[in-house]
Amino acid sequence: MTKQLTRLGCLLLVLAASACDQRKDPVFHDQFFAFGTLIEISLYGVEPQLADTLSKDIEKDFMNMHASWHAWQPSVLSSLNEHLSRHEAATVDPILLPLLREVGRLSQRSGGMFNPVIGRLVALWGFHDNPLPVGTLPDSTAIKDLIEQAPTVSDITIGDDLITTINPSVAYDLGGFAKGYAIDHAIDRLQASGIENAIINAGGDLRVIGQHGDRPWRIGIRHPRENGILASIEVSGDTSVFTSGDYERFFEVDDKRYHHIIDPHTGYPANSTTSVTVIHSDAATADAAATALFVAGPDQWLSTARNMGIRYVMLMDKQGTIHMNPAMQSRIHFEPGMDAQITLSTPLQ
Amino acid sequence: MTRADRFLLLLVLCAMPFLYYHLWFSDGPANYLIIRSDSNAQVTETLRTNRMLHITGPLGESIVEIYNGRTRFVSSPCTRQVCIHSGWLSNTGGFSACLPNRISLTLVGQHPRFDAINF
Repeated sequence: MTKQLTRLGCLLLVLAASACDQRKDPVFHDQFFAFGTLIEISLYGVEPQLADTLSKDIEKDFMNMHASWHAWQPSVLSSLNEHLSRHEAATVDPILLPLLREVGRLSQRSGGMFNPVIGRLVALWGFHDNPLPVGTLPDSTAIKDLIEQAPTVSDITIGDDLITTINPSVAYDLGGFAKGYAIDHAIDRLQASGIENAIINAGGDLRVIGQHGDRPWRIGIRHPRENGILASIEVSGDTSVFTSGDYERFFEVDDKRYHHIIDPHTGYPANSTTSVTVIHSDAATADAAATALFVAGPDQWLSTARNMGIRYVMLMDKQGTIHMNPAMQSRIHFEPGMDAQITLSTPLQ
Repeated sequence: MTRADRFLLLLVLCAMPFLYYHLWFSDGPANYLIIRSDSNAQVTETLRTNRMLHITGPLGESIVEIYNGRTRFVSSPCTRQVCIHSGWLSNTGGFSACLPNRISLTLVGQHPRFDAINF
């Protein structure tokens, strides 16, 4: 009997300990800083040497894009902005051309809720500064002046090799788009190299392809006001998950929060939303849509999402109420104890 | 069943849950640190490079050390110094905060539950 029990005990211990072998992480992880945030690369089941090479290539791409698209440091984009501010026709850098066309298309589809040419407003609020302004607000007259000049993408004409504007107050700031576009570029590079299962996560905004072995990728959505997770989703195939929130970049004056998502219609930070999470296929659209829906707020997010072709949205308003469409509700799993009020919209499809 | 049998069986049954949890579910070393402060946006820092971080809160400056993949509060202008006494954090999910100075540290890495965090 003792022998049998000893064997049974050993067997059970070996089974438990055999978990050691299973813990070998099949996911290659790498990370680097670009676009002012941490970029994380996760590749499932890729040979380490290839994974490392691809990761380094993606890092170079991100660095180049960051340098080219910087809105307020010397770059291809800031040079373009200078020409536009002087009412001069500018030669379009071939690197920028598809980007500017895409950003213009998305802005128009959003009905101007996402406006990538309000760089002057963003600068006026100090969001081009590091560290952020302390205790000061921009001059309200200066904001009013810029709003009256109403810079929009419609003021810009992009030709084959020249870009012109009828409104010198336009200034590109690709803050609500560049990260998404760069993520799409990185995924294109991975897929061209035969990689089928990966995540590119740029400061919490991400696109996944494939899955984690025999299960979907598991994504946690951080709570916008508390430490910890608000909800989770499982994603596979080709999916981007983007969130815009008022907690990402902000400063406070007299106990009031002023964040970086400026409503292009008022010139002030959009004030009815805390965060918006969007699920979409490509990251560039998801990025622009998250910004647009944040500005649109609880009253206009549904129509804006329809216009932009977005099928999954979750918006938390300033009162903590969560607004979402039924398709999003069916995909998202809230954490236990999450007791926010939920308002379901009509279907988006 | 002898006393030795019973003892062995008890030992195995006690060891099983510990081994199972430890080997399958425990959080591994963290990859990066998320710093949230009341006066500014949240910041993500890699744990790869040893350095001191100076973070300003409403009471003044807190200093956070990153060393060999770990992090801790080195100094903070709070009175109770709870954050200092909480010591080093090294595993995923590790959390420490200086509530008076409204600064928190969260370690993120090999998520047992999530492959990525969206925020």
